[in-house]
Amino acid sequence: MGMWHDLLVPLQYDYMVRAVVVSGLIGVVCGFLSAFVTLKGWSLLGDALSHAVVPGVALAGLLGWPLAAGAFLTGVLATGAMALIKVKSRLREDAVMGIVFTTFFAAGLLIISLTPGGVDRKTIIFGNILAIADRELLQVVVIAVVTLVVLGCKWRDLMLFCFDATQARTLGLPVVVLHGLLLVLMSATVVAALQAVGAVLVVAMLVTPGAAAHLLTDRFGRMMWVAAGLGGGCALVGAYASYFFDGATGGCIVTLQALVFGVVFLWAPRHGWLAERRRARGRSGSGKAQEVRL
Amino acid sequence: MTTATTLDNPPHGHPDHVCWGGGAANHTQHRLDVRGLTVSYREVRALEGVDFSTECGRCVALIGPNGAGKSTLLKSLVGILTPEAGTILWRGAALTSAHRELAYLPQRGEVDWQFPITVRGLVEMGRYPNLGWWRSFQKHDREIVDRALAAMQLEDLADRQISALSGGQQQRTFLARALAQEAHVLLLDEPFTGLDQPAEEALRRLLRDLAAEGRLIIASHHDLETVPLIFDEVLLLRRRTIGFGTVQDAFTPEAIAATYGTPALAQP
Repeated sequence: MGMWHDLLVPLQYDYMVRAVVVSGLIGVVCGFLSAFVTLKGWSLLGDALSHAVVPGVALAGLLGWPLAAGAFLTGVLATGAMALIKVKSRLREDAVMGIVFTTFFAAGLLIISLTPGGVDRKTIIFGNILAIADRELLQVVVIAVVTLVVLGCKWRDLMLFCFDATQARTLGLPVVVLHGLLLVLMSATVVAALQAVGAVLVVAMLVTPGAAAHLLTDRFGRMMWVAAGLGGGCALVGAYASYFFDGATGGCIVTLQALVFGVVFLWAPRHGWLAERRRARGRSGSGKAQEVRL
Repeated sequence: MTTATTLDNPPHGHPDHVCWGGGAANHTQHRLDVRGLTVSYREVRALEGVDFSTECGRCVALIGPNGAGKSTLLKSLVGILTPEAGTILWRGAALTSAHRELAYLPQRGEVDWQFPITVRGLVEMGRYPNLGWWRSFQKHDREIVDRALAAMQLEDLADRQISALSGGQQQRTFLARALAQEAHVLLLDEPFTGLDQPAEEALRRLLRDLAAEGRLIIASHHDLETVPLIFDEVLLLRRRTIGFGTVQDAFTPEAIAATYGTPALAQP
């Protein structure tokens, strides 16, 4: 009785309930999108984007704009800069990303440190879902709903784009539009997730659920749902648990995601480490009785 | 072998799109004409003034050394690369962008085999352009996918993830997708690479069957010995057209030597 009572304490506080629900929503959206991000090989791009939005958030805070607008602007700018440098130079993509996102992040830090009255540095870098303002909350909900609707309608096209952009093009799908759409959804989601876990940990929300889901299923449709469920569940439970650890919502959510990923990596029924090992042993045990394939 | 003839006559299909192959009265409707095709990657010219002309019902081999422009030609035909000059005429009309009647089958190395998709899911991709805004499958689409799977003898493997297939099965899965797309022209990039002997023979028969049904097969190929077994026509390519014609006429030791530079290189 006493333990249950203790466990339910966070629900007595409105700000906790709100934080838990919003975190869960953000987790679902990020998880959904992570299915595409991981399969497209854009994990690093997600990291870059999450850092590139920082100066936008700082500027928007200074000018009194919605944070999402500022974040979106610099996110798009950074993506454009990366594309430009990549096309106009002989540098590899990872070097270009490394340069661009640190530049943007540095600019953001500079803006924040030079303007003491602006957005709180901790909020941007580590997130602060417990103190999320109504206006920010509304932005998060709008971003989440729009992203879910777009993904719900266009997931097949985006899946084909992630699997085989060449084929998408030969089938007459607008590949450039799909590319842009996925980037826009990613930027918007990064902005939403920033509030929950902060710029440094956003990439975990956009990668870990999808990576875990990829190890759990061989069907893309199922992978999307599993990723959304994992993302949402971890965010919900992590935010709730953060009450007992006093703060660090982002740390709780992402640590929980990492734990789930670790379990999946080891024990996933078909693509887990142990399953692969069992299979390898079975194969060598039964001599050369390999599957007959034609 | 279950042939895919019925695919050309789906219940709600387009009767005017049927390929009749060699001997048909309206040849011009089923011709692929390439004239003066020139393609460059930035400063590097990959193809220069390539000419050839063929028609449905044929199997055409693209022969040439590495870097001769075989993949470039295939990708230009299917609209992935934009030519610098020249025209591609399909059934008398210039191709300016992707066309659903031309399907491209990638080299096996270019595919992400770990992608969470089954054989059926991959074949269904061929229907995406037909699905309308909501991308929902109708009975008609499912029937076409079923027929494509049956024609490639993949029914029993339909629920397998694509990495759990042999090389031959993987090729057949992509062929089935092209059939689901209702393509007339199949452009294959090194389809025989990495296949074992039985799988190679099976694919050979399959391509012959597809051509006999009236499809046009164009495949880059590096095994010179098997060219006469599979193909009707050869396009010898080395940035330019070195030769084009029936295997009997154009696939001569002299032409091969000219394509590969030295006679020694002509033997794979």
